[in-house]
Amino acid sequence: MGLLSGGAAEAGQGQAIPAGLLGPPRSRRLQPQGSAPRSWIPTMVLKVFFPSCCSSADSGLLIGRWIPEQNSAVILAVVHFPFIPFQVKQYLSEVQKVSQVDIVVLGTWCNNKQEKEENLGKFLDDLGTIFSHEPWLQISKEKGSKFWSCHTLSRQADTPTEDQVILVYYDQRKVMLSRLHPPEISLDNQPGVITAPDASKLAAVFDTVAKSEVLFMTDRYDDGPIKLTHWQSEGVEASIIVELAKQASVPVCMLLTGLLSLVSGLCKSRIFKFWPVSFIWSKLSTCEQVRYRLEHLRFVFSNQKAENQNQLMRKANIFVSLLVDVALGILLLSWLYRKNRIGQLADALIPVADHVARELQDLLQWLMGVPAGLKMNRALDQVLGRFFLYHIHLWISYIHLLSPFIEMILWYVGLSACLGLTVVLSILSDIFALLTFHIYCFYVYGARLYCLKIYGLSSLWRLFRGKKWNVLRQRVDSCSYDLDQLFIGTLLFTILLFLLPTTALYYLVFTLLRLLVVIVQGLIHLLVDLIDSLPLYSIGLRFCRSYRLAAGVKFRVLEQEEGRPLRLLMQINPLSYGSVVQTYRLPTYSCYPKDTWGSLCKKLFFGELIYPWKQKGDKQD
Amino acid sequence: PYPEPSVRCEVVGWQKVLYERQPFPDNYVDQRFLEELRKNVSARKYQYWSVVFESGVVIQQLCSVCVFLVIWWYMDEGLLAPQWLFGTGLASSLVGYVLFDLIDGGTGRKKSGRTRWADLKSALVFITFTYGFSPVLKTLTESVSTDTIYAMSVFMLLGHLIFFDYGANAAIVSSTLSLNMAIFASVCLASRLPRSLHAFIMVTFAIQIFALWPMLQKKLKACTPCSYVGVTLLFALSALVGLLTISGVGAILFALLLLSISCLCPYYLIRLQLFKENIHGPWDEAEIKEDLSRFLT
Repeated sequence: MGLLSGGAAEAGQGQAIPAGLLGPPRSRRLQPQGSAPRSWIPTMVLKVFFPSCCSSADSGLLIGRWIPEQNSAVILAVVHFPFIPFQVKQYLSEVQKVSQVDIVVLGTWCNNKQEKEENLGKFLDDLGTIFSHEPWLQISKEKGSKFWSCHTLSRQADTPTEDQVILVYYDQRKVMLSRLHPPEISLDNQPGVITAPDASKLAAVFDTVAKSEVLFMTDRYDDGPIKLTHWQSEGVEASIIVELAKQASVPVCMLLTGLLSLVSGLCKSRIFKFWPVSFIWSKLSTCEQVRYRLEHLRFVFSNQKAENQNQLMRKANIFVSLLVDVALGILLLSWLYRKNRIGQLADALIPVADHVARELQDLLQWLMGVPAGLKMNRALDQVLGRFFLYHIHLWISYIHLLSPFIEMILWYVGLSACLGLTVVLSILSDIFALLTFHIYCFYVYGARLYCLKIYGLSSLWRLFRGKKWNVLRQRVDSCSYDLDQLFIGTLLFTILLFLLPTTALYYLVFTLLRLLVVIVQGLIHLLVDLIDSLPLYSIGLRFCRSYRLAAGVKFRVLEQEEGRPLRLLMQINPLSYGSVVQTYRLPTYSCYPKDTWGSLCKKLFFGELIYPWKQKGDKQD
Repeated sequence: PYPEPSVRCEVVGWQKVLYERQPFPDNYVDQRFLEELRKNVSARKYQYWSVVFESGVVIQQLCSVCVFLVIWWYMDEGLLAPQWLFGTGLASSLVGYVLFDLIDGGTGRKKSGRTRWADLKSALVFITFTYGFSPVLKTLTESVSTDTIYAMSVFMLLGHLIFFDYGANAAIVSSTLSLNMAIFASVCLASRLPRSLHAFIMVTFAIQIFALWPMLQKKLKACTPCSYVGVTLLFALSALVGLLTISGVGAILFALLLLSISCLCPYYLIRLQLFKENIHGPWDEAEIKEDLSRFLT
């Protein structure tokens, strides 16, 4: 089964053929009407991948790799006359050793435009006996004609046979630099998408070109024993700054690694292991973010070489993400510290906190009356209301105690913006959590009380019916209670039942407030996560050099005529942005609640504490 | 219509077994089918006066509810001093406690293995918990409308009467639920009383009349049937008198109810027993008579 079969030729001039149409079953669908069906006798179709930069090269030898299982030849370069065959062989073996690719002489290339003597063709034929290769390709370009001819010489037949030959032009530079992303196998039914076996064949071609990088990286002005034509990189001299940066990066990386290990060693030291400190650390999102960034820095500046392309990409992504983060942070820093904005912020913060507290007081006063005409237990209502009012009073006095220092605290905290925007956002989230601590306390009190009532009521309801929960069998059993047990149980049941609406209302109101706070914090965290996880380098690569991330290839028909080889131009299909993000997304520390909506509602109903405290089961472990 | 059995088969004869191959369809039966029919196997012949005696339990329970409601009404109106009720209740409880042991000469206590210390503890628990919670009970239903409370109490007391263990062996009977409903109703009603002392004494009274009094009754009925009839009559009479002081029409209706339950209903039961026609036969489900509990160790 060929990667390309003659059927693809049916598509009209200049029309793009999706790469997925390249299998034999589909090519039958595209059977040509004009040409005789004789071309469909199952002969192996020979594919020649020809670098487009060599199409105007002088005559010479074609070197490249022969892929026998696909019956295709990937031509990498043209060796010009004059050359000494022994030197060519030596050179090729050297290249082979470095690149691990089986590079051989595949045939001859004849650019008739420059041909002086008629007998050169004969000479080229004879070369086949020196560099034995099976089959021996003879590609020639006619003068003044855009058609090319291609013969294959088989040693057995000893005569040039007119096999089906397809010439595929490829851009050597793009193919070498691009990275093929094989699509999901499940998609192979859709037309226009590469199927998995096709993809692996393409990957072999891409791999061949990418591995023979050493062939192209030689210096332009470095005269070797033989002259080659291929895509020429700029060489070492052109990128001297890059080279210098490479040289300099090693000590810088080592220095930074040392510093980072010092910092992380400090973080791991015993001072932070004690209970209150470690507890606070685990609750602050700033610490999480800083730890996450430290991990990133260590990864980027580690001395180990990236093992594969994926890891390299990941390093680049992390590095760019860090850079962008820090750049945004410094932008924010410069904005904040101009015109005393910190002072304004600090001045605004206290009134806002006061205002929130006053609103809460009003809310509590409303709850202590007859809220929405509900039948509340007056005594319990008063007790709860006064308790919460006292709490607010405490909170306000605490804030006022803190107010002279707030500007200073903000000033120092603002300096952390040079660590990156995400750190600032995390700090903002933490400050928000601290400023709404009273709401959190109310929520916890309300939830605990409500939870107590709900569980008490459910078990007392079982007692009311003369049942009990059997822990061993995990079911409700009937049970005979004593008289005093029954009496006390029913008394408590009645009391809890009549007090439930009051507690439930307080719980409802504070849960709504808490949810509001959690939503705001969640939005901040979402933003931080977005900055953390977005693969900016990959996206930039896709935007500027779209061929670097290839999803597949498409072919355009250049020439098609009876008796001549079909000429196709291979173009690279770039990966879509969605799959770029999906493939290169950086993993983030996720502190999201893992509940579904249903379980969240259930938890809310039963008064269990939601985010961010650990669940009951975790505590017991 | 069943297919006709062949001639040869009649010679063989039909057997009521399925484990042998017979030339009859599976659902074939012969002439002897109805020979095993029996009627009214478990029907009992009732004696009128014994039925009337048994209905005394229902009368007692109805009267208990009635007396409780009357006392509550008196307390709510302020016509009855709580101290007086408490004193009377305490005295009658002590008398009942002594009687409880005297009637069967202490055999019941020995059988249950309950000590006097446990009794005292139970009594202390009742008193302290009720007294401790009485201020809470007082304010418990302040904001709930009185009609709601009345409706709830009525439902609960009806439930108490329905689920009470009158001695019948039925699935609906649950003495736990019945007692709990009565206590719930009493707590609801007590929360309507003017002071917390009233509430405390009302709930204590509810325990006495709904929990302790039926226990004494059961023992009375089992040991001294004659005195049980006397006590029932006295109790019914006092309930009627109490109701009469509140509402004459209510008293008459209640008296009619009691009469119909104790006299008319037994009469009807015996009359209707004549029309009973229960048939039993080989078509019944198999019944396991043997005691299988030895397999269940």
